[in-house]
Amino acid sequence: MRHRLLTVWLVLAVPGALGAQALTPRDSALHALNRLAYGPRPGDVDSVARTGVMRWVEQQLDFERVPDDRLAGRERAFKLLTYDREDLAHRYGEAVRERRRMQREMAESGDTTRSRGAGPMREFRELGGELQQLAVVRAALSERQLREVMVDFWSNHFNVFVGKGADRFLTPSYIEETIRPHALGRFEDLLIATAKSPAMLFYLDNAQSVAPGSFPPSRGRGGQGVRAPTGINENYARELLELHTLGVDGGYTQQDVIAVARIFTGWSIDRPQQGAGFAFHAWAHDRGEKQVFGARFRDDGVNEGIRLLKLLAAQHATMHHVSRKLCARFVSDEPPDGCVDAAVEAWHRTSGDIRAVLRAIFTSPDFWAPQALRAKVKTPLEFVVSALRATGAEPDSTLRLAQVVARLGEPLYLQPAPTGYPEAQALWVNSGALLARMNAAVALAADRLPGASVDLDDVVPAAADHAALVDAVNVRLLNGTMSAHTRSVILEQLADVADPAQARTLAVGLALGGPEFQRQ
Amino acid sequence: MSISRRVFVKSGGLALFSLGLDPLFLARAAFASVHRSIVPSDHPVLVCLFQRGAVDGLNMIVPHGEPLYYRERPRIAIPARDVVDLDGHFGLHPSLAPLKSLWDNKSLAAIHAVGSPDATRSHFDAQDYMETGTPGVKSTSDGWVNRYCRHDQEHADTAFRAVAFGPQLPRILAGTAPALAIDDLQAFGLRVPQEAARDKLTRAFEQLYEGAATGLLASSSQEGFAAIKMLKRVNPAQYQPANGAAYPQGRFGRSLLQIAQLIKADVGLEIAFADVGGQPVQFRLEVVRRAIEADRPCP
Repeated sequence: MRHRLLTVWLVLAVPGALGAQALTPRDSALHALNRLAYGPRPGDVDSVARTGVMRWVEQQLDFERVPDDRLAGRERAFKLLTYDREDLAHRYGEAVRERRRMQREMAESGDTTRSRGAGPMREFRELGGELQQLAVVRAALSERQLREVMVDFWSNHFNVFVGKGADRFLTPSYIEETIRPHALGRFEDLLIATAKSPAMLFYLDNAQSVAPGSFPPSRGRGGQGVRAPTGINENYARELLELHTLGVDGGYTQQDVIAVARIFTGWSIDRPQQGAGFAFHAWAHDRGEKQVFGARFRDDGVNEGIRLLKLLAAQHATMHHVSRKLCARFVSDEPPDGCVDAAVEAWHRTSGDIRAVLRAIFTSPDFWAPQALRAKVKTPLEFVVSALRATGAEPDSTLRLAQVVARLGEPLYLQPAPTGYPEAQALWVNSGALLARMNAAVALAADRLPGASVDLDDVVPAAADHAALVDAVNVRLLNGTMSAHTRSVILEQLADVADPAQARTLAVGLALGGPEFQRQ
Repeated sequence: MSISRRVFVKSGGLALFSLGLDPLFLARAAFASVHRSIVPSDHPVLVCLFQRGAVDGLNMIVPHGEPLYYRERPRIAIPARDVVDLDGHFGLHPSLAPLKSLWDNKSLAAIHAVGSPDATRSHFDAQDYMETGTPGVKSTSDGWVNRYCRHDQEHADTAFRAVAFGPQLPRILAGTAPALAIDDLQAFGLRVPQEAARDKLTRAFEQLYEGAATGLLASSSQEGFAAIKMLKRVNPAQYQPANGAAYPQGRFGRSLLQIAQLIKADVGLEIAFADVGGQPVQFRLEVVRRAIEADRPCP
């Protein structure tokens, strides 16, 4: 408790140190809600300001103590949370066999006109859609907002692609069992969990990486027409160094990539019939000597990989690379050195306790600097979810809101490149995507957005007085960020609208689709 | 696109530069200012079609004069008598026969044995490499068509320079150069049923962004509104394919029709992209060929 109070004082002192640029309690509450959460709901800014912004930050870091009953109730509608991975693996194995049988039949009969749409894989395509929607519902409704933001961050940092083969059924357990439990834990644990996850092993092909010349003992050669893998695959090794840990300028060479790939030979997946869990195949492991950053690895089976992951997690380059990404997420697309250094320092001090690293960022002067406020453009997910939250809209459990997010340019878990989606605005802001945002905003204001239901009476009461209406929209939806220009354009548009409900729909649509609401 | 709009975008970029903000926006604004030349109406257009289901190239353009082909494919080779001969050595799969007349009038070329040297067994990876143009390298973040747009300095950068037909921008067009995904040309812009209300709302958003947006938000919204105006002037809804051409029903046929509309509207289209998703090879090629032949811009 004492420790927490200390943190509060430290940070409250920061705006003071900046003198004239000190943030008001409401300003800092809004900023924190924009970055640590998916934007404020009606009343959130006042309540966080009353609580004290740093106390709220600590509550979000200590998320296990935040009750989240409403979300728990909604999660029950998502069947995928009740599936057992082994069950799913069996069904997937059957679906693959069924598809092969159909393809053989088609090839033999010469009939290639049959649609591939329905088919045995349908269940797994639907599973992917359900997973996307679950992410939207959690982001919108969870009281543990920072945790949801971090789950999104790590799912993107350790990207997998739900459209690739077995990842259709492996991704749900990847999110639930690999990412979520470690999202605010220790980086090293998270790194090891992703390395051992069947979803990552499949996505970056490590599952088929074997020491040259090795053969599976039971199947022997040429069993069942399935070709045995024939050598090392460097994909996981390369992305592990370049993306997951050291960063592209992290000081490693192609020789290191090969050594890392050799260390991970044999890290694989059981066949679907056996549950598709992590499996270490000793027969496929390269037992020879490997060297990475001065450390030697030799004939120590699966332990070699674990040792290597711990070594990588403790590298300064890793701390810097990942801290910089965190700062790009929370502070600005091109984060100042100050907050990155603070995060790295906390990482060193705590051996990679993610909470401590985040606390260092949230208490850094750069986080609260005036130039950081509204410096970031919302991603499509952030835009859609923040609009739902701002209007108090209720997301349903169909796939439709996830489809809206996809249309705006961010189909969840469907980024093929292992880089994940970039944090910088250049990918999100283009003319087509902006028009799509305006359309989504206008639809939400009219309660016509697919997958959401909204009752504006609770947020902005309809009013005959247009000036009062626009002021209410500014205060309740934009939290006082509306520019004088925007205010006058909206008022001008309302001039010939007599019906108060219609005026409100128009004002809310323009406010949510306008430039202020695109920023956070 | 009016000159004044470009000047607005450009001077906006300069203003921001002095404040030291938003270098990416600047890169795009600088890029836009280089690309101001007017597109000549007879400029070539690349129409890029991606067969997502993959294709057996050796059975599509058949090397029927090559004994190795028959020796290595004892069961699935196309019998020489069924092949539509092109040059005595190569020929078309019989279901591609409708393309023969395009070959005869020298409108068609086949480039054989061009593909990814990466021997991945993953269909997903293979597609991905085709789109990034970097076989074997998974971390490439943009597509090769977008890279082309970014580096090519000779062609104008209009809102419609690179357009993909579909609900989302495909990987081949992903990147920092502007590119549009259009699902339905007629529905491009704000979705309001009545035209007057739509125009009013469009104008309102345009004013909002003109006055209060900064950086990339400002330049991109300007491009979007310019595109809406351009389409309104061109009015693709009134479009009639020439010579009674009838495009096939379905997503792919609709994409081809809309590509033709944009080419003829002369809005600066340089690269069009459409997916041919999972259709079998015999997908009514004759209909497609007749439509394209009839509706071509320069007869």
